[in-house]
Amino acid sequence: MEAHVDPPPLAIEQLRVVYGERPAVDRLSLSVRPGEIYGLLGSNGAGKSSTIKSIVGLVRPVGGSIRVFGLDPIATPVAAKAQIGYVPETSLLYEALTPREFLEFVASVRRLEARAASERIAAYATAFRLETELEEPILTLSQGTRQKVLILGALLHQPPLLVLDEPLHSLDPRSVRIMKELLARYVTVPGRGVLFSTHTMEVAEQLCHRIGILDHGVLRGEGTLAELRGRVAQGDATLEEIFLRLTEEASGVAAAVNALEGR
Amino acid sequence: MGWAEARRWSDVAFGEVALQAIFAFRQGNLPAPEDPHRIVRKARRRVVQSKAIISVFLALIALVAAVALRSAGTIVGSGFVPSTLAPGLFDAGIVTGLLSLDIAFLWWTGLQVLPTFLSAEVLPVLEPLPIDDRTLRQTAALLYVRLFDLPALTVLVATPVFVGLAVGPWAGVAVVPGAVAAVAFALALSLLTARFFVRRVQGARGGGGSTALRWAYLLLWVIPAFGLFAFVTAAPALFEALDAIALRGPSVPAYLLLAAFPFALASLPAVAAQGPAGFGLPTGGVVLGAAAVGYLALAGWAVVWTLRSVRTFGLAPALAPAAGPTPRYDVHPTSPAWAVLVKDLRIASRTPGYAFLLLLPILDAAAIGLWTYASASAASAALALGLAAVATAALLATFFGPAFFAIEVNAYSYGRALPLPDRAVLLGKVALVALLYLVAAGIVLGLSAARVFDPLVFAAFVAAELPAVVAASMLALGILFHRARRRGLPIVNLYAGTWYAVLVSIPALIVAGVPLLIFHDLSAAGAYPGLAGMGAGALAELAFCAPFALAGGST
Repeated sequence: MEAHVDPPPLAIEQLRVVYGERPAVDRLSLSVRPGEIYGLLGSNGAGKSSTIKSIVGLVRPVGGSIRVFGLDPIATPVAAKAQIGYVPETSLLYEALTPREFLEFVASVRRLEARAASERIAAYATAFRLETELEEPILTLSQGTRQKVLILGALLHQPPLLVLDEPLHSLDPRSVRIMKELLARYVTVPGRGVLFSTHTMEVAEQLCHRIGILDHGVLRGEGTLAELRGRVAQGDATLEEIFLRLTEEASGVAAAVNALEGR
Repeated sequence: MGWAEARRWSDVAFGEVALQAIFAFRQGNLPAPEDPHRIVRKARRRVVQSKAIISVFLALIALVAAVALRSAGTIVGSGFVPSTLAPGLFDAGIVTGLLSLDIAFLWWTGLQVLPTFLSAEVLPVLEPLPIDDRTLRQTAALLYVRLFDLPALTVLVATPVFVGLAVGPWAGVAVVPGAVAAVAFALALSLLTARFFVRRVQGARGGGGSTALRWAYLLLWVIPAFGLFAFVTAAPALFEALDAIALRGPSVPAYLLLAAFPFALASLPAVAAQGPAGFGLPTGGVVLGAAAVGYLALAGWAVVWTLRSVRTFGLAPALAPAAGPTPRYDVHPTSPAWAVLVKDLRIASRTPGYAFLLLLPILDAAAIGLWTYASASAASAALALGLAAVATAALLATFFGPAFFAIEVNAYSYGRALPLPDRAVLLGKVALVALLYLVAAGIVLGLSAARVFDPLVFAAFVAAELPAVVAASMLALGILFHRARRRGLPIVNLYAGTWYAVLVSIPALIVAGVPLLIFHDLSAAGAYPGLAGMGAGALAELAFCAPFALAGGST
């Protein structure tokens, strides 16, 4: 008798995203396993956001496949998106709504029960110190506060897969700390996974179980920090050093600094 | 540095304003996969097109006024205008209407574009650069003027040209101060009210009281669009009042009229053409002259104030949240389609452009309802007017339906990341159109209740047209959704895709209009056969359009 294997939170195979002539993501394969925070690391324009936008259905890939708990986000977008909580890289919100109105809309779309949704909003708003801003139009809020609203929107339905594009961007240190703790505990619930994009090495090093290094749309390396150190044959290498080695940018950094100093 | 440098900066900044006005990238719209330079060129072109449309409209108003001035002999004494009215007062009345409409439409344009000017944040980008204070102020002033350039130029050129052709060359010259003052006051009024709207409407907090207040402000915003309608409707009464004042000879009301804006400046071409004797208001020379000089001086001050204030306005930090509201965490989730409807109403309550679309059919119905109540003498005439009001509201609500799709452009990409079926979005928008129609019909019924002696026919008319309104909006929105699915991207921004929204409105208007034509043709045999035919036609249309619109949505 064949054992039943649950599909992983996220499985990407040979993904290709192209803008005009330029490939943004080129044959990318990766997976987020249950209980895992997977960090997608890359320079600006490496293809992190394009990958994430493909997962949540904002960008249509030209090749490859994506499965969210076995669901195809292109063929069954509503079912797949129901499994995901998404924080975009920029604060894309309905600016004319207040955070409470926005979260009510999200709760309605996700068909949440009023009491559970209200309790979660109260808990997260208190944790992130958002109480006084809940009745102000999003238009009037600071970048960091908008980011908190987006995080609330992503966590409101306690999704089994969190897809976070630079989620700590513009958050205050206290909220960053809360978010890190929250994510570490979040994946302790069986079956949950987190895909987390960042270019902050320290965060990836602290938080992620596995890291994928993306460069010009291509995955240059993947694994735990120890595995990546093994790949560059340097046991005490920092993630920054590993990143620069794998993306072949280490020599470029020195050359750029020398050029700036006129040597 | 100086004006040349300011012009260079304003040119760069205006490109960004155009880009954000057309494609709303900062609000979350995703760029189409095409050459970025092409997108920028397209944005600039469409801004010019939008300005051209407003300019053509302003030129048409001037042309209509010129035709009226030219036909003064026919119009005076026709019943529309009292036969005793002096030709000069007739001319002054027409030019007063023209200048008022110019101000109203330039103001309306300003209110539409200024929130985008702010959200594009072009001045905060320039401010930290090493540009001297004077050049920055000049850049801001030039940018502001560029928002209005073509429409303002049209007023400044078309008004004297058309008045000159209709009345005479000296009248054309004499109307120039009026045109200049109209532009100056409209630009100042735009800035003044835009500040107000940004603070009190866009930045208003949530809650019932605040929502009611926002809608009240938004009603004020819609008034300019009704200027034309109001002027045409109220013109006979205004001319009668003018005649009555003139017949009383020198009096306080006569002097007050001569001193009023824009009548004082609008009288100058009549005085130039007819001379003081033919003008109709005696001994007003000193008052008229003083008022005209005073308004011109005020216009000059308005220009200086506007150009100096633009920079402060453009730099104003978005809005600081008010301190200390009691935290409210409770939310009341509903069905996704209803949530879309509520979201749209909430967005419209802080977005004048969308509020206008919602309020126009309702205000139109209210205006015709009031007219029905006030003027119709026979029950049948009142009923006909009431039915016409409902028919107009149905057509207007249907016509604007596609624009409601455009609300999704705001943070559209976030909405697309949610598990929101297309069907729910479509049904939410259709429900909004149906709601507008029913509110408009309810207002007409309420206002004309005292004169409509057959409310049953009225109610049956409203009910028979409802399926056609639903079918029409389903058709228009269905076409838009099918196209969005095929292209995989949001396709309609109210500005970027205006041509497409207008295009899909045409079949929708036909669908909404066919049952009205059926009623018109069959009602000769009696109201009820007409209503039966109308209802049957509307239901048949719904049976055809609903499956098309609801097919193929994401699951």
